[in-house]
Amino acid sequence: MTHPEFPPLTTILWAEGLTKTYAHTRTPALASFSLSMEPGEIVGLLGPNGAGKTTAISLLTGLLAPDSGSVHICGADLSKNPRKARQWIGLVPQHIALYPSLTAAENLSYFGRMYRINGRELKERVNACLEFVGLSNSAHGRIAAFSGGMQRRANLAVALLHQPRLLFLDEPTAGVDPQSRNMILDRLSELSRSGVSMLYTTHYIEEAEKICSRIAVIDEGRTIAQGSPGELTQAHPDCNDLGQLFLRLTGKDLRD
Amino acid sequence: MQPLIATLFKELRLLYRDRSGLLVLFVMPAVLVVVVSLVQENVLKATGAARMDILFIDQDRQAFGKLIREQLDALDTVTLVTSLDGQGIDTEHARALVDKGRYQVCIVVPAGITAAVRTRAVEQISDAFSGGSREAALPLPSVSVYFDPLVQGAFRSSLLNALKQMLLVMEMETKAKALAEALPARFQQTLSALAGRISMDPASIPKIQMDPGWGGRRLMDVVAEQSRLKKLPTSVQQNVSAWSVFGIFFIVLPLGGAIIRERKDGTLARLRTLPVPYITLLVGKLGAYVAVCWVQFLFIVLMGKAGLPLLGTPVLSLGSDTTALIVTVTMVALAACGYGLMLGTLARTLEQATMFGAVSVVCAAAMGGIMVPVYVMPPAMQTISMFSPLAWGLNALVEISVREGTLGSVRHELLYLTVFFAVTMAIAWTRFGRFDRQAEI
Repeated sequence: MTHPEFPPLTTILWAEGLTKTYAHTRTPALASFSLSMEPGEIVGLLGPNGAGKTTAISLLTGLLAPDSGSVHICGADLSKNPRKARQWIGLVPQHIALYPSLTAAENLSYFGRMYRINGRELKERVNACLEFVGLSNSAHGRIAAFSGGMQRRANLAVALLHQPRLLFLDEPTAGVDPQSRNMILDRLSELSRSGVSMLYTTHYIEEAEKICSRIAVIDEGRTIAQGSPGELTQAHPDCNDLGQLFLRLTGKDLRD
Repeated sequence: MQPLIATLFKELRLLYRDRSGLLVLFVMPAVLVVVVSLVQENVLKATGAARMDILFIDQDRQAFGKLIREQLDALDTVTLVTSLDGQGIDTEHARALVDKGRYQVCIVVPAGITAAVRTRAVEQISDAFSGGSREAALPLPSVSVYFDPLVQGAFRSSLLNALKQMLLVMEMETKAKALAEALPARFQQTLSALAGRISMDPASIPKIQMDPGWGGRRLMDVVAEQSRLKKLPTSVQQNVSAWSVFGIFFIVLPLGGAIIRERKDGTLARLRTLPVPYITLLVGKLGAYVAVCWVQFLFIVLMGKAGLPLLGTPVLSLGSDTTALIVTVTMVALAACGYGLMLGTLARTLEQATMFGAVSVVCAAAMGGIMVPVYVMPPAMQTISMFSPLAWGLNALVEISVREGTLGSVRHELLYLTVFFAVTMAIAWTRFGRFDRQAEI
């Protein structure tokens, strides 16, 4: 997949000082969160349960309004010009956010029309996206009849349809077989090479280590470490890998 | 044995934790029992015990008119309306109000009935003594009763019977009075004929002759006047109107459920990250479900036009103002869909939406006159029924199909439906933009 119409931009995402405290709670779910991303960069957002990962994605996609701070996507202020900013983003939710009684092609066509893509272009993009995730032969199968891995791939395909510059992926490989996971990771790397930036949350540390160019570890709403996988492990020579480092930073206590 | 007991306790614990399920089990029957019992309370008193407002016009203004009014006033179940806005009511105005369904009954006591009944009583007693009869030559004075054509037959009969019994008592009193006045003269006449010839033999005493048919001759009657509507209503018209409104409002279940499913599976979160205004998403949904409501209505109409006549019912007639019908059905559909959208955005779970949606629609239907006519409900329920959107829809459709209503005559119902739609949409739109988004991704 190519993205010929992308404007040349050096900063895809620029978020600064994002803070969010939910009603009826005292401590912020996310505090002073800042992040900038460049084209083709994959940033892994790691953290235990309740660390603030989903809140961060909600704020960065405009699903939540921050108490303070701002988000710019491809130069557009998300709070002041949400429609323009949203043109450039794609969201792959943790759940299979598709209509189960519609076919894969019908799902993609619907979301494509929401981006005002139609006619021949829509058909071509639907076919290209389905091919990209290996679902060409199942285009006319209903999502409800798909395996978990196929549903995950279809979930990804919908987010790619409008050729976004920035993808938000919330545990996109949760609960899928190794083959589908491998394919999804390969495809994400391919997208990265073509210039698509990605913010990636996962509990599989080895996945993050494999595909992320930068990793941010957050806990209790605060960023506690940030850097490339190599930089992070070098900074903690007593840790053999990112997994050990993650436990060192966030502790071994269970998070409920 | 232990696994069995463990399973039993596990199920009871699960049921206890399932608040929505418990609500369905306990609250729904309780609510339905209360609402349906209240709306049906007076139906069981089908002998005319239902309290209702009745237009009463006394053109006689003499003893009989006053007596009829007093007797009606004494009934617990009737409130006589003798003036509107401080003005007296003329018959034409009253008939128009009854034809429009504003009142279900109008009783008119004609001018001169007191004099006519008295004259008739005197003549009847005179005829009874003389053996003749001028019955055919004398018109029978009658009290006129005008019914809303939509009033149920049982109610109509019970009211007419009650009126006839009341008049019969008055008639007996009048006859007794006439007899008491005529009898001394008749005695005197008979005794005069015996002057100086009184015998001790009782058999020789002449008897006063009187026609026994006198007792059965009527002095006055009650007449149920024909409605002036061009076409009398049929059960098909009423049922198609009532059940199509009921069916349309059941769209809240699939519509509310669809929104909750979108919220739960993250589809809505994905939709809300699109460069599309929320209102576009809501209006798109609304359009689809309004179209479904229309198909549903047309299907019921088709049954009334083609299906039911095969079973011997009259062919459905929907009035002559097609524009009014289209606008009304569309507004009913919009109100129902607005309610469904609001429910889908307010309810937290599919179970909540399904349970509350179904119960609220059934209750609103019961209160709105879908199952039982509003005029036979207790006064408090009649007041509550004015706030049921199903009542607004039903009243408008009945007005159009049965009473040849127009856009102008259903403007109030259309206004209420529009306001209801606007309020529910505003709530849905507000909630749509303020979901707890954290849980949706």
